[in-house]
Amino acid sequence: MVRKRVPDWLNSSLWYTTPADDRLHRYSSPSPTTASAADSEPNHQPPTPAPPSPPPVAAASKPPSTPNPPKSETRDPVNKNSNNNNGGNDQNGGSSGASPDDISRQAQLLSELSKKVINMWELRRIASQGIPDGAGIRSTVWKLLLGYLPPERAQWSSELAKKRSQYRHFKEELLMNPSEVTRRLEKSVACDNDESKSESRGLLSRSQITHGEHPLSLGKSSVWNQFFQDSEIIEQIDRDVMRTHPDMHFFSGDSQLAKSNQDAMRNILIVFAKLNPGIRYVQGMNEILAPLFYVFKNDPDAEMAAAAEADTFFCFVELLSGFRDHFCQQLDNSNVGIRSTISRLSQLLKEHDEELWRHLEVTTKVNPQFYAFRWITLLLTQEFNFADSLHIWDTLLSDPEGPLETLLRVCCAMLILIRRRLLAGDFTSNLKLLQHYPSTNISHLLYVANKLRIHKP
Amino acid sequence: MVLVLALGDLHIPHRAADLPPKFKSMLVPGKIQHIICTGNLCIKEVQDYLKTLCPDLHITRGEYDEETRYPETKTLTIGQFKLGLCHGHQVIPWGDLDSLAMLQRQLDVDILVTGHTHQFTAYKHEGGVVINPGSATGAYSSITYDVNPSFVLMDIDGLRVVVYVYELIDGEVKVDKIDFKKTTATTHSAH
Repeated sequence: MVRKRVPDWLNSSLWYTTPADDRLHRYSSPSPTTASAADSEPNHQPPTPAPPSPPPVAAASKPPSTPNPPKSETRDPVNKNSNNNNGGNDQNGGSSGASPDDISRQAQLLSELSKKVINMWELRRIASQGIPDGAGIRSTVWKLLLGYLPPERAQWSSELAKKRSQYRHFKEELLMNPSEVTRRLEKSVACDNDESKSESRGLLSRSQITHGEHPLSLGKSSVWNQFFQDSEIIEQIDRDVMRTHPDMHFFSGDSQLAKSNQDAMRNILIVFAKLNPGIRYVQGMNEILAPLFYVFKNDPDAEMAAAAEADTFFCFVELLSGFRDHFCQQLDNSNVGIRSTISRLSQLLKEHDEELWRHLEVTTKVNPQFYAFRWITLLLTQEFNFADSLHIWDTLLSDPEGPLETLLRVCCAMLILIRRRLLAGDFTSNLKLLQHYPSTNISHLLYVANKLRIHKP
Repeated sequence: MVLVLALGDLHIPHRAADLPPKFKSMLVPGKIQHIICTGNLCIKEVQDYLKTLCPDLHITRGEYDEETRYPETKTLTIGQFKLGLCHGHQVIPWGDLDSLAMLQRQLDVDILVTGHTHQFTAYKHEGGVVINPGSATGAYSSITYDVNPSFVLMDIDGLRVVVYVYELIDGEVKVDKIDFKKTTATTHSAH
């Protein structure tokens, strides 16, 4: 049996970063990372010197044998582009000075977005390298990537108006409580019985109920009955919304902002659950909703931010459409369910790194379901911090084949990046490691994931 | 949207064994927010049963109740409405609108719920509304044997109340409703 050796480039020490440094450097001091020398840009400015740049990235500026990677992934998640006049909203008050790579990508994106008809292929290509935080364009780009906004700019306002009013209708219909529903039913059935016929005393007249609707009705089609049945799901949604990202002021806390955001998320999930009786609400959907809502709500354009709820709803539906089957319990064992996706991941790992695969699944018997379930169903939102997961989503959403393919590659890359520790560990330590994935340089992770696409053995 | 169940005069176990099964099947926990009971349950087990339907339970004393510590009258505020509760055997003539109106003015409530006559009625007068939910078990009364089991469910929504009347006529549950509005909001006076 021929053992497939791990390709050299994987085993190189380049890919093992010390976890702590990157994070600190990124968020504290101005630290534009040195751009990698291999760059698709023709006029590549010299890298701005920066003392605290993380060592491996500096080393990576001269990648050894591999051909120039078409997508160079050095990234500075939270920086304010002082070089760029469009310095948009900056959530973390970060550094001044972006990497030239970032600036160029931002310029490309902006130029692409300002065209009359946006070239989606080109947009996806640029976006998959990462959308710089500085210019506040992530919201628009995501909406384009998810197909919410059409590529023709001229149609945007009409599309948006249409979708937003549709959402308003949904809300009105579905979030009404049964008292109001019955009132509306009556109005449509009988003309308003004159309230003005108020005799000052005497028997109150009894009237017929419409459609057999009364609060204790046990009929399947009864509005009241459905209301009480839905109240369980609504309670579940409420609980989960309150628990989303408790460390972020945007989502949690006593502030007016947090409360209104929670209300918006609750409404979206309730409307979704009512419109999709097959799948309803499953725990975890709130985690997929959170980044979408965050990005759209923080759109620098005030009008877009105000309508974030409606936009998020449709994008959420779109995003979930590829992953619905993961949430459906009956489909667990089918060939579209979560188990089959996990086994695809397993297969991918086996193709790229058989030694690791064998060690994990056969020797230490770490069933991929123990760790990959959460990775896949929640689209990696729980494994990395919020800013990092936004970046990962940039890449996931820009995949033309759909996020699932890229997701599997990223998961595979996550495993390969810590292969040394995994190979040295037993069941307990490996499981612990995988369930609390160590913080890592996202750029590297995505780079490796991308390489898996190219270097299919 | 607050659901308030009003019932009374069950006379369990003396005059009736239990609520009619069709009523029992409809009364499930989790739907109703308050229960007001005019009295004459008569035993503690009935109180326990009602408590399982809804933890917020208000009872006034009827003349056959074995629990002596229920109050004679009770008032509570639900939403914009003030409700008053009394069994009704104290108000003579029994079931007379004028006397009940006097009680209503005394208690200063918008909706007065009384029982004792075992007949459903709903009256309106200048001061407010008087509702008699009847007997939930159909027990015979001091006045008549011919009693249909009935109870009342009120849906209080802002300034509007929809009163759903559930009656068991010839073995079938019949539901009717009564709508009324309050003209002014309740001012919460400091006590």
